[in-house]
Amino acid sequence: MKNKFFTRKFVPAAQIRRLRKGMVTDMGEIDFCNPKYYTNRELSWILFDHRVLNEARDKNIPLFERLKFLSITASNLDEFFMIRVASLKDMVNARYEKRDIAGMTPKEQLNALDVAIHNLVDLQYSTWNRSLVPQLEKNGLQIISRHEDLSKEEAVFIDQYFEENVYPVLTPMAVDSSRPFPLVRNKTLNIAALVHKKNSKDEMEFATVQVPSVLDRIVQLPAAGRAKKIILLEEIIERNMHKLFLNYDIVCAHPFRIMRNADLTIEEDEAADLLKEIQKQLKKRQWGEAIRLEVEDGMDKRLLKILKSELHMEQNIYKIAGPLDLTVLMKLYGLEGFEHLKTPKYTPQPVPELPMGCDIFEEIRKGDILLHHPYQTFEPVVNFIRQAAKDPEVLAIKQTLYRVSGNSPIIAALAQAAENGKQVSVLVELKARFDEENNIVWAKMLEKAGCHVIYGLVGLKTHSKITLVVRREDDGIRRYVHLGTGNYNDATAKLYTDIGLLTCAESVGEDATAVFNMLSGYSEPLVWNKLSLAPLWLKDKFLYLIEREKNHALEGRPAGIIAKMNSLCDRDIIAALYAASAAGVRIDLIVRGICCLKAGIPGVSENITVRSIVGNFLEHSRIFYFENDENYEIYCGSADWMPRNLERRVEILFPIDRPELKAELLHILQSHLKDNVKASVLQEDGTYEKVDKRGKSRFQSQEAFCQEAVRKASAAAEEEALVTRTFIPEVHQ
Amino acid sequence: MSTRTFAAIVVGSFELTMKIFEFSGKNSMREIDCVSRRLALGSDTYAHGRICNEKLDEICRTLKEFGGIMKAYKAEAYRAYGTSAIREAENSIIVQDQIAQRTGIRIEILSNSEQRFLDYKSVASRGESFRRIIEEKTAILDIGGGSIQISLFDNDTLVSTQNLRLGVLRIQEYLVRFDVKKSRMEYFIDEMAMAQLANYKKLYLKDREIRNLIVIDGYISPLAVKLTGGNSGKAVLDREAFEGFVNQLRTENPEQVAKSLGMPEEKVPLAFISAVLAGRIADLMGAGQIWAPGVTLCDGIAYEYAEKIKMFRGEHDFEKDIVACAVNISKRYMGSKKRAETLENITTTIFESMKKVHGLGKRELLYLRLAAILHDCGKYISMVNIGETSYDIIMATEIIGLSHAEREMVANIVRFNHGRFIYDGQQGGARGMDKETYLKVAKLTAILRLSNGLDRSHKQKMKGIKAVLRENQLLLTIDTAEDITLEKGFFRERTEFFREVFSVEPVLKQKKTLQTQTMQK
Repeated sequence: MKNKFFTRKFVPAAQIRRLRKGMVTDMGEIDFCNPKYYTNRELSWILFDHRVLNEARDKNIPLFERLKFLSITASNLDEFFMIRVASLKDMVNARYEKRDIAGMTPKEQLNALDVAIHNLVDLQYSTWNRSLVPQLEKNGLQIISRHEDLSKEEAVFIDQYFEENVYPVLTPMAVDSSRPFPLVRNKTLNIAALVHKKNSKDEMEFATVQVPSVLDRIVQLPAAGRAKKIILLEEIIERNMHKLFLNYDIVCAHPFRIMRNADLTIEEDEAADLLKEIQKQLKKRQWGEAIRLEVEDGMDKRLLKILKSELHMEQNIYKIAGPLDLTVLMKLYGLEGFEHLKTPKYTPQPVPELPMGCDIFEEIRKGDILLHHPYQTFEPVVNFIRQAAKDPEVLAIKQTLYRVSGNSPIIAALAQAAENGKQVSVLVELKARFDEENNIVWAKMLEKAGCHVIYGLVGLKTHSKITLVVRREDDGIRRYVHLGTGNYNDATAKLYTDIGLLTCAESVGEDATAVFNMLSGYSEPLVWNKLSLAPLWLKDKFLYLIEREKNHALEGRPAGIIAKMNSLCDRDIIAALYAASAAGVRIDLIVRGICCLKAGIPGVSENITVRSIVGNFLEHSRIFYFENDENYEIYCGSADWMPRNLERRVEILFPIDRPELKAELLHILQSHLKDNVKASVLQEDGTYEKVDKRGKSRFQSQEAFCQEAVRKASAAAEEEALVTRTFIPEVHQ
Repeated sequence: MSTRTFAAIVVGSFELTMKIFEFSGKNSMREIDCVSRRLALGSDTYAHGRICNEKLDEICRTLKEFGGIMKAYKAEAYRAYGTSAIREAENSIIVQDQIAQRTGIRIEILSNSEQRFLDYKSVASRGESFRRIIEEKTAILDIGGGSIQISLFDNDTLVSTQNLRLGVLRIQEYLVRFDVKKSRMEYFIDEMAMAQLANYKKLYLKDREIRNLIVIDGYISPLAVKLTGGNSGKAVLDREAFEGFVNQLRTENPEQVAKSLGMPEEKVPLAFISAVLAGRIADLMGAGQIWAPGVTLCDGIAYEYAEKIKMFRGEHDFEKDIVACAVNISKRYMGSKKRAETLENITTTIFESMKKVHGLGKRELLYLRLAAILHDCGKYISMVNIGETSYDIIMATEIIGLSHAEREMVANIVRFNHGRFIYDGQQGGARGMDKETYLKVAKLTAILRLSNGLDRSHKQKMKGIKAVLRENQLLLTIDTAEDITLEKGFFRERTEFFREVFSVEPVLKQKKTLQTQTMQK
């Protein structure tokens, strides 16, 4: 739907205009927006993927966990190509030459990325070939990387496997004058071959076959003893190519994979029905321009030439020294029998304030409750909706959904609530990248159940995570609100670190109501009590908070900022941080991913530290601490300090007011700053280095949070057991 | 459950708004939700005279959504009102009917005076802040899309209220129509406004000094509340602060204003017109402080409903304001204050004693009192044709708090008091009145006529009147030593209509007190 309020253009406040003009400091006049003080966001992202790759290279990490990290670097890179590289390519094609935050043109960025990504990929495969494969073999898992290496018995098994399982689902395609070059689908693995008719001197023909995604790519070979042997599906097909082209000889056959531009171009303003428009665009995703071509190292030059020519590719061709598409390693991680090579599975702990079977509304009325996932279970959030769905006193449930899990209990509860006659309004963000199809399915299902579904807003993505339950109680209407930093996704809530808040504070309830009214196309409220919303007000709020610290420092009052987020690349925010740093504010940033800020520049950012934590769980929470002259304030929210979050998305920042909860969040931030195992610190030269542990005891924040959650849950369980075991004598009067 | 949920809907000139309120013993009146959607109906009505089909569709769509929200809150009742954009539209009745057919929501049209009265109630719903401010000389400036209303208070009492066709949307229409450049807008608004305001000052303000100006509007008033921290009681700006605010609107572009003040961009031009008007009126009155409580018509609607269902008891006496308004009209047309007071006293006494017979309530007593106060206003124009001229004056003058229909009732009572009562079967009789209204007019006319007869000499001889209903007789005892021959004569003449209407025989008895007897001796 069109929402003219949220889609108002962002107008820089006076403060931003001032920042963009520069500032006079002890070091003279400094232009904090000077590109030399910024790192290009794409190159910063590559550094992030390197940090993930470092985990795969870390010998102190269990072997199978290292496989997982390597797989993550590969899937990260796929997305990066489909969106970021594709977007830069579009800019170059359109002769768009505007320089980025770091002063680079799109063309310059593409060139720099070409070098950086090749280095990254080389490192990925050297990690795989030199470190992981030998280690796997040593630990009883042999990977047959070339079908030529199969033993006779294994070859028989494989051929039989091919005929029985693979052959029926293959669709080989040859290219000649009557059959055009086929559509090679995005991200699929294919085998290209050069063939020519048997006993003929005709020209060679190009043929291709897609490695079917319906079959497991890892095929286990019969092996004696405890050791296991596997081969990849493409090797099996390659070995049996001749069976696909019966009257032809196979000259050569090699796997290849392409990546296409998957950035949807949705004409939202013109779209009468957003849902239909997105469905239409999704189909086009398979046809997007080819952005990257991966081929097996050693591919026949003639074959490569055909592929390059047909796919119109000159740049971004990767000759891979190993299996294409390392995301397959996630499947390998799932192989049974190697549990000793994995980190023991952590079970999210119960939340002490919400004992099992409790009335969640009653518990919230006792005071705000903070949830720290995945250390604490996501179950209370699901229960919040489930109880609301069943509770006869609940009048309405409203929620925003960005990414949900495959078999989401939240969706089921919302549908149940609608069936129970509650007014259920759900904003399902159809434009959540790569979740578009899922979300369309959910949106339709919710609509069918009787929910009022809003398909997101034109021109904006609704990224906020908020749920409102309106309940009629004896003393009137009471509103219960859940606000979070992470998605309503019970699956990722086991892997992503996030913060949630359950509250029934009237001020938050009023704001939450206003948020949903705005999302439904109604006007903004007279005044916001607690929440700050992007794209209209959030950036100004952050700039105000940063400037307030700067002013405290200038006046000699205690000032400091600790901010944790996924990415930092908003120039206005960075310039404000530089100005604050120059004024003497101590700023500690915990930025997992992209960081365009440069640390340690004299007179600009010498008071700023940046660290990135890459651990078993994906750091996803956004927590912001402002010292504010010893009267500290803490906020959590759904937004990173990125232009897209602050200017093109609906995001919510919420303050934490209860002192115990503020202390808890400060503790979380301080623990991250103490981490000397998983933290990498941004150096003055723009690289990241692991913290020097010499002389310090080892401290891993994620591990510490797990232990704390277990301790708290055990203490609560013991206390509960004590209460239930206490004998209260009956007094007869 | 001791709480009740109520929805107040306003189909305004610029937007459709619904507020959900909860009334409870504990919280009294609490706003729990507010939704509004911009829809410039005023631009249709003021420019083209009617509401177009596209806008009607949009009204229906939005009201249907409002219905869904009401249902979600399990609202037990609602009131939906249309203001000037619907009121002044040529196709008003069709629009109302379409809305009812398509949404099930019945929109009632508020007359200007009803709307202003509810606006006024919305300010009064702010309780202590309102009481404190009107203790001093205060004016309420109610800025609407089509017109503005200026009401003057003196010592907690409303002394005058006037409507001027200077609404923000109306002015904006002119600005657009005459293609006025931004740099000349203020001058244009000034010229338009000052022509009317100068007359207003001459006629109503005179040398009256006003200390506080209360501004009710949908533009600057909510902003003032926002800028002063969200507490409507504290949204008081001195002239300097207000001028600073106007200056910001004057100098910054709409985008910047919207951003820095956190208001929708499309409201910025209207806020500018509103601010210029408020500034000029404050200057005209010499008001040092401007209170912008941020209330809306919805608050007034809820306040009135809560009073009606006895969930809320306001401390301000609004009836007193309506009466004060009538007294001021009477004063303007040289009515006799003493006579009006006597007549009001006699009519009230008779009305109260006849309750069992006439079955009328408090509201009807108010009509009767107003008719008594205004009974002779027509004399200002003609000493012969008082009934008709009084009728015309009352119908042409707004009485805040009375609907058009109610004002017509008062005007008819006054008219029939002086002339022959025209029966419903006679030509021009009921003048479009329904049966219930007609009977009320007849009953109240009978009482006023009888009362008028009792003070025929205009010498206020009937000060100590008592009335007792005994079977078919209304026994009126007057405590006076004066000669009441004239009154007795007219009394007899006027009992006939009274008897016809109530089947009750009025009987007049004179009681002479000891003191007066002594004096007579």
